[in-house]
Amino acid sequence: MKSIFTLSFFSAFLLLASCSRNVTRIDPAETPDIAGTWNNTDSRLTAEQMISDALTADWLSNHVQAKTKKPVVIVGMVTNKSHEHIEAETFMKDLERSFITTSKVGLVQSGKKREELRAEKADQQTNASASTMKKFGLENGADYILQGSINSIVDAHKRKKTVTYQVDLELTNIQTNEVVWIGDKKIAKYVKN
Amino acid sequence: MNKTLLFAILLFSVFNLKAQDAALAPDQNPRYKESLDKYVASKDELQKTNNTTVQDTYKAYDWYQAKMDRRQDRINYRRQMNLYRRNNYYPYDNYYNGYDHYRNNNYRYNNRGNNNRHYNYQPGCSSPFGNWFYWFW
Repeated sequence: MKSIFTLSFFSAFLLLASCSRNVTRIDPAETPDIAGTWNNTDSRLTAEQMISDALTADWLSNHVQAKTKKPVVIVGMVTNKSHEHIEAETFMKDLERSFITTSKVGLVQSGKKREELRAEKADQQTNASASTMKKFGLENGADYILQGSINSIVDAHKRKKTVTYQVDLELTNIQTNEVVWIGDKKIAKYVKN
Repeated sequence: MNKTLLFAILLFSVFNLKAQDAALAPDQNPRYKESLDKYVASKDELQKTNNTTVQDTYKAYDWYQAKMDRRQDRINYRRQMNLYRRNNYYPYDNYYNGYDHYRNNNYRYNNRGNNNRHYNYQPGCSSPFGNWFYWFW
């Protein structure tokens, strides 16, 4: 009787243990492909390619030669025209961070964060002490704007599928509209269900 | 007197033109102000998407995914039919996704004839025994 009770107890324990969720920490640099969709590895590879391209291209040396100071870049819009929801901020932030850490390119804030900055500045006009209050009209003007697009091509039949992503980033001179750099990253995947 | 006034106006016009020219950068389009006014008026709207990802995605046809979707539709359909059977709940009002229920589902065909005597699937039939008419069929 006792043995039956012990056996059933352990069986129930094993059954419950097998049903529980198991979480394992992994290295973000080695995210495995599971569903075959855009994932962390794709974002990282895109960022690495864009960083190495952007910081070694001619536009940087040309600008420094002509203006004798580092260029200032503002980040514009990235349009995701692929078939998946992709957030470009993951690799754009890597690129922006590389601009700052290498000190080769200046970066100015844009979008909602810039609006927040200006709102804070406006608040200071009435609430901060005169000696610490920041003035309007003294922001750094950007020399270049960084814009981009994400496209994809899907070819699927039965259980086989190929997906090709193409990420393009363009750097344009705001004064002249001249495109000074285009970086691209192509990622192709073969998925078999 | 008139000559002096005319000369003064002429001189003012010349100085004004000179001042306008001085405001222009070398090779700058003299009509730049038209464009400036246009974009200053709409700059907030145009810059709203800065530093964001605009999701303009499309739905790619995936044979396998479509098959899985059709399968899920069939499961949902059967679930709704079961609900209907239990609660006399009629699912057609809010369910149609391109799947031909009548052609691809045997439910309707397997539940005709004598079954209707005891359980009728007509919408709006509130009796738990179905339409009384079929009791005498």
